[in-house]
Amino acid sequence: MNAIAILLVVVLIAFTIALSIFSRRFTRTTADFYLAGRKVGSFSNASAISGDYLSAASFLGVAGAVYASGLDGVWFAAGFAGGFMVVVLFIASALRRFGEYTVADFAFGRFGSNRVRLITVLAVLLTSLFYMAPQMFGSGTTWQVLVGAGLFGMDPYTTGVVVVTAVMAFYVGVGGMKGTTLNQIFQFWWLWFAMFLVVVFAFGSGFNYPAALADASAEPIVNTKQLTATELTTPNAAGVTPLEQAEGIMTAEEFVGVEAFVESGAEGKIAVALPSSNKLHELRDQLFAEPGHRYNAFDQFSMVLALVLGTAGLPHILNRYYTNPSGAAARRSTFWVLVFIGTFYILAPIAGLAGIGFIRDYLAGGGEIAAASVHGLLVKPDQVMPTLGSILGGQWLMGVVAAGAFAAMFSTIGGLLIAAASAIGHDVYEKYVNPNASEAKRVAVGKTSVLLFALIAMGIGLAIPKFGLDQAYPALIAMMVTWAFSVGASAFVPMLLTGIWWKGTTEKGATAGIFVGLFSAIAIIFLNIMQQLGTIGKDGVLGFVGALTFPVLFTFPLALLTIIIVSKLDGQLPKNVDQIWMRIHGTASERHEKQHGLDKVGTMFGKSD
Amino acid sequence: MGDSTLRVISTVGGDDTHVRHGDHTDTIESVDTVFRAQRKLSFSYGAVFFAVTLGIPASSVWWEGWYAVPIWGGFTANYLFVSLLYYVFLWGMAWTYSRQADKLDDKLAHLADAITADEAAKEVGTP
Repeated sequence: MNAIAILLVVVLIAFTIALSIFSRRFTRTTADFYLAGRKVGSFSNASAISGDYLSAASFLGVAGAVYASGLDGVWFAAGFAGGFMVVVLFIASALRRFGEYTVADFAFGRFGSNRVRLITVLAVLLTSLFYMAPQMFGSGTTWQVLVGAGLFGMDPYTTGVVVVTAVMAFYVGVGGMKGTTLNQIFQFWWLWFAMFLVVVFAFGSGFNYPAALADASAEPIVNTKQLTATELTTPNAAGVTPLEQAEGIMTAEEFVGVEAFVESGAEGKIAVALPSSNKLHELRDQLFAEPGHRYNAFDQFSMVLALVLGTAGLPHILNRYYTNPSGAAARRSTFWVLVFIGTFYILAPIAGLAGIGFIRDYLAGGGEIAAASVHGLLVKPDQVMPTLGSILGGQWLMGVVAAGAFAAMFSTIGGLLIAAASAIGHDVYEKYVNPNASEAKRVAVGKTSVLLFALIAMGIGLAIPKFGLDQAYPALIAMMVTWAFSVGASAFVPMLLTGIWWKGTTEKGATAGIFVGLFSAIAIIFLNIMQQLGTIGKDGVLGFVGALTFPVLFTFPLALLTIIIVSKLDGQLPKNVDQIWMRIHGTASERHEKQHGLDKVGTMFGKSD
Repeated sequence: MGDSTLRVISTVGGDDTHVRHGDHTDTIESVDTVFRAQRKLSFSYGAVFFAVTLGIPASSVWWEGWYAVPIWGGFTANYLFVSLLYYVFLWGMAWTYSRQADKLDDKLAHLADAITADEAAKEVGTP
């Protein structure tokens, strides 16, 4: 147990709760609860959006993906950042000019039907759940590494999930968007600083970027995996068993233990080192600095599209754009977001690469680490950040990193809970269940929604290891986040792009597009999971579709085409389409606000009327 | 909705083709002008962005000199671009786009006011 790390995490949690309680005084109306009164400045909003965006996948997952896969892992960082260009070019200012609360409000305002609003709400909830799952999984695994012990009879993983859920439900429920925004600003800078510190310590310990990259690329990448005795002795299609492959990679000393494990016929799994293969250029060795460890040619494109388009389909990020005071401020916020997260994403792959040499040398020198390892490599790449922190800076740096990991999870979960609460409380309750509810009652429903959604997410987090997903994918956190991006990119982005830029989009077209994009993406993801778990084979149509790691290359154009074709066939534009068009692209409101100085950023800490 | 800053749309002229905020009015003609200019700007930048972004995996698949030849220590051109230079590209794109969009907003604001004034003058002149 790392006492300093636990202390720093406790300090982080206490500060987070204090900020929420402080913000509570300023949360009176639904605009305060969901949108922080629309008075968040560009720099603050950019920090909060960055905190919203940088989750466990970015803090733990990117470094882990680079550590395990080299260049294919670096793409996660570049793709995550690139997504904001789509937001700034096509969506940010139009969404803000439209001036509503949620994505579902936009769909309703643009297309004018309850049907399109409700399916958008469903898509928001499902996308948010897909994004919550990796945060919950990250909570459990980080607690495992950090604390290593459970509370109240629970195992460490379960304890991590339950504690994070409880803290998050409390602080989002109490602080609303203002509290969440303040927390996200603080959490973002903490996790940025933690990543920066790890990289500074690495350079201070003799790390040389080009030389380390050359060193890591000198030999083919080695994979680590935990396998049962049966799996180790089952030959692959070429007639070679993993045991034979491991013997070719591992040292004689290391391999003795594996042989003994197989001969004893023991239950459970043992970690082994295995050779990698190049999925992109099959005749080449898989080197660290070259593409192909994770993705074949199809997935190279599909993954890039999933990340680049997916950002514009994340409801908790889109909701943040409504907190800007103007369309121009929305653009400025996005520029700063790109600067903040760009610097972070330049640092994260450096940490992943540094982990290879430092962890290998530390273990070779007889050092001991909390995380499982084999052949000088971590068995779970997602643990590279805390492990590297511990090696380079002892308990203090590991503590800063561990608190950074929790800050990353808190900030993203906070945004997701607000987005889900908006969908349930604002889009459903206020519009359909009780439109005449008092302001206090609306806020109360929003808080109840936060609690409800947090409990559902907790259930999913607890279920992940039970279904063996953590064993089926090498860097599960980054993988699950990419699934969320795929669902968002397929469900929302075609509707937003056509709704903003093509006047001819009809309600039926938009509804059909969301439906097709949402469910085709989810279906392909589940087929992929089933294939990885061995439930379905790799042959036939199901096998082909299930082999698609990222569905976006199919599902995004499918949804877009659905919108265009159905809209053309339908031809029923909203009666007030010109007025809607003026609301999206008109500038009279902004000219008026500019004339009277109303476009200036106010304080988040004034009480609403 | 309880949001004092939420924009309130009020129409003038007895139809749905005008939106007024204080002294400023949008007409469908002025908005269409704004829309076309914004579309041109956004889609021009979008074309460059997607060409570069999708050009990277395309080069990773088909151009060996890009993905397999070290150019600085262990850096291949592919690794160097994805890990460092791509961000410089994004910052440059976002900065210049935001500046141009702001300038366009200012320019179109004058244009929209001029169109509105012209429309008003025609209405006054109509018996």
